[in-house]
Amino acid sequence: MNINTIVSLAVNGISMGMIYALMAMGLILLIRAIGVMNFAQGDLLMFGAFITCWLTVDLKLPLWAMIPLSIVCFVVVGIIFMFTAYWPLRNASYPAATVISTMGAAMALKEIATLIWGSLPRSMPPLMKNPATGKVAVLKIGSITIQWQFILTIIVGSVFIYLVFVLFDKLYAGRMMQAAAQDKYAAELLGIPTILTTMATYVIVVALASTGGYMIAPIFMVSNTLGTLQLRAFAGVVIGGFGNIKGAILGSLLIGVVEAFSTIQFSQYKDAVVFLVLIVFLLVRPQGLFGEKIADKA
Amino acid sequence: MKKMKSYIKPSSFLIFIALAIFVALVPAVNQGYSMMILNLGLIYSIATYGLSVMLGLGGQLSFAAVSFMGLGAYFTANLCSGRLGFWVDTSLTLVLVLIISTVVAFLIGMILFRLSGTYFTFGTIGLVQVTWSFYLSYKPLFGGPDGISNVATLRIFGWSPVDYNQWFYVLVVIVLIVAILVERIRRSQLGRSLSAIRDNEIAAQTLGINVYMTKVIAFTIAGVLAALAGSLYAMHSQFVSSDMFTFERATSYIIMAMLGGVNNTFGVFVGSVLVTMLPEWLRGMQRYLQLIYGVGVILLMVFMPMGLAGLAGNFGKSIKRKLRSAAVKNAPAEKEDAK
Amino acid sequence: MNPILRLDKVCKRFGGVIAADDVTFSVMPGEIHGLIGPNGAGKSTLMNLISGIYIPDSGSIFLDEKDISNVPSHMRARMGIGRTFQTPRFLQRSSIRDNLLLGTDLANQMGYLKSYFGKKGSNFEEELDRLMKYLDFTFDWEEDINGLAYGQRKQLEIVRSMLTHPKIMLVDEPAAGLNNKEIDDVMALLNFAAKQFGIGVLLIEHSMDMIMNICEDIVVICFGKVIAMGGPSKISCDEAVIEAYLGRDLDASNS
Repeated sequence: MNINTIVSLAVNGISMGMIYALMAMGLILLIRAIGVMNFAQGDLLMFGAFITCWLTVDLKLPLWAMIPLSIVCFVVVGIIFMFTAYWPLRNASYPAATVISTMGAAMALKEIATLIWGSLPRSMPPLMKNPATGKVAVLKIGSITIQWQFILTIIVGSVFIYLVFVLFDKLYAGRMMQAAAQDKYAAELLGIPTILTTMATYVIVVALASTGGYMIAPIFMVSNTLGTLQLRAFAGVVIGGFGNIKGAILGSLLIGVVEAFSTIQFSQYKDAVVFLVLIVFLLVRPQGLFGEKIADKA
Repeated sequence: MKKMKSYIKPSSFLIFIALAIFVALVPAVNQGYSMMILNLGLIYSIATYGLSVMLGLGGQLSFAAVSFMGLGAYFTANLCSGRLGFWVDTSLTLVLVLIISTVVAFLIGMILFRLSGTYFTFGTIGLVQVTWSFYLSYKPLFGGPDGISNVATLRIFGWSPVDYNQWFYVLVVIVLIVAILVERIRRSQLGRSLSAIRDNEIAAQTLGINVYMTKVIAFTIAGVLAALAGSLYAMHSQFVSSDMFTFERATSYIIMAMLGGVNNTFGVFVGSVLVTMLPEWLRGMQRYLQLIYGVGVILLMVFMPMGLAGLAGNFGKSIKRKLRSAAVKNAPAEKEDAK
Repeated sequence: MNPILRLDKVCKRFGGVIAADDVTFSVMPGEIHGLIGPNGAGKSTLMNLISGIYIPDSGSIFLDEKDISNVPSHMRARMGIGRTFQTPRFLQRSSIRDNLLLGTDLANQMGYLKSYFGKKGSNFEEELDRLMKYLDFTFDWEEDINGLAYGQRKQLEIVRSMLTHPKIMLVDEPAAGLNNKEIDDVMALLNFAAKQFGIGVLLIEHSMDMIMNICEDIVVICFGKVIAMGGPSKISCDEAVIEAYLGRDLDASNS
């Protein structure tokens, strides 16, 4: 096993971990801000992948046009998703109802994608091509070869993560959203438009997941099975400590790396490896890396 | 103070009649392929009954049903197809499946319930992924992506069902037994204790309920029922492959439970059959199937979270109320007459 | 006669907050013992320590002179500690019958298997009838528990606790949310429990009417410490208590 393999696996792992982290952040946002566990997260990523693929490959739009257009699409999808899968259930008495409706939304999303774009998997060209050879652009350091697009994914992922942190920690808008999450009634009394904050949260979540989809499209094929990746994000959320954004990100990165390195020995069983890690974590440290044990007031 | 009534409620009577009609009519109308699908619905309902004990009574969302179904199915497939070099009688296999799944489910439950609430749910997701990964890839035991075929069919006392119609009768009997079992649990101390855990864990403790062990017991019951369903599946379809045991399939069982009404014994049966038959009835609309299904689930949660049974229950309650207010209106008049 | 419940130098802190500081007192069987103190004094915490939801940092708790300090919560319930809560905790989607049967389940302790096969334990209906005589409302078994008014549910929680045949009942603010007639009914019920069945009752209450009328012995807690113990007349004159808590209300009922 040479240094090339180790580095490229590590980079691969961290970049996949970034994509999981984008989904995981969305999950945590929805859990903290809305109180919903979203089982459609993976399909939002899938849908985002399809949208960006459509804009890039079908409409052949250059990057400067594609980005704003895809943002518009994400906003639309986010709002529709919120109004169908969440809004009617926001006062539901049965707690599992919101969760289960996201399962329904996941199915619907898969089918809509198939109806619009067909059921055949599509391929997307690498994010960064070598202009000379037309093939995937690579970075060479000594004997180590790294695909540029993995690095790009890591950079973009980090930027988004930073932006989300800034939003929630520094900006007033972020505080409004958290207030609306913790006590909707009180927030409304304070003049916070909860419907807008909810919409904003959903749009951000969709944007995060869809960007992940865009980044992953060149690596995997774009197909409606991409949704299963969400389980990795769930694992990341749990390992990181439920409800903790930092933890979710670190947990997801960890999952990505574990997954990458498990291909050395157990390529077929990487699912088993990843989730065994999850189960072990749950048993040994259920509050995750950063979570705190919250006791109920009896 | 009203005395406790122990008569048979009118709703039970109706259910009984509906069931009788169902069993009589269905084989006349269905044959071959559509009967096979219906049989699958019956088989799935056994697993869903297990789920209803965990989720409906105990309030714990568990995806583990498919893991145990796989356990039952692959165990049966290995013993009853000769692929390991020997044959085991299918009735004996069923018994073995029940015993082994009890032990395995109990042990796994003891481990998983060291976690609570959502952590537990994620633990079951982890379990499903781990087992699925092995079911898919480990050829020696699970046949790899090709699965295991040539599984023998059920044989009890020398008799085997020759076609799907005969399977139907066998399954109806089994489902009925399971349903009665689950209903009995609902009405006994175990059912009440699980509901107490669901609604208020701390209060349940102060009522003397050993929360941990009760959850483990419920998980074991769910696991055994799922394994039974898996074993029957193997014998009925005579073929087992790992795509029956994915996370997506796990979500479909949850939906089956919710559709009928997760806390209603009859509802679970109705939900399972409906969800399984739906793709057949909507044959023409194959393209839009998942979409209708998905939207349907959302609508279900919005308008009928207690499922069809909840709807029927509300309907029954509003009729009772109307009858009662009509009776009250008549009562004073009667007093007048008596004078 | 041994006390049915005895706390010995029980201490409990949560981070920087001292919830219980060297608490020592006992409750005799058949006695109604008040536990009062200003809000946040640590009364509910003591209840939780006694029923086993929290474990004391130091000190011991004795049930009928058996040390239960480390016994898990559900075992303590089975040993005879009954409990009601400030806000009634019932099964939401179940009938009243199922809710109350939970109480009888605890009294019978026959285990899941025997219950499954239909073994009958104590006579549920008879007992319930007898208890309901003290209360002023009726209900239909099969009705959903949510159909009852708040006050009725609170009273029913006490009934359920009595159905468990406890040795001691921890009653947390039963009068809150009840009208005067209902409070009288509850007092009669608690007296019945204590005198007829010898059940010890530890009663948290803010209603001084109830406390002074029904309690034989009272312990006063403030910031986790016991500041006074004794009968109603002694407590109402105690300087420390008046200063911490009682004030005007008590002067009115004295004159």
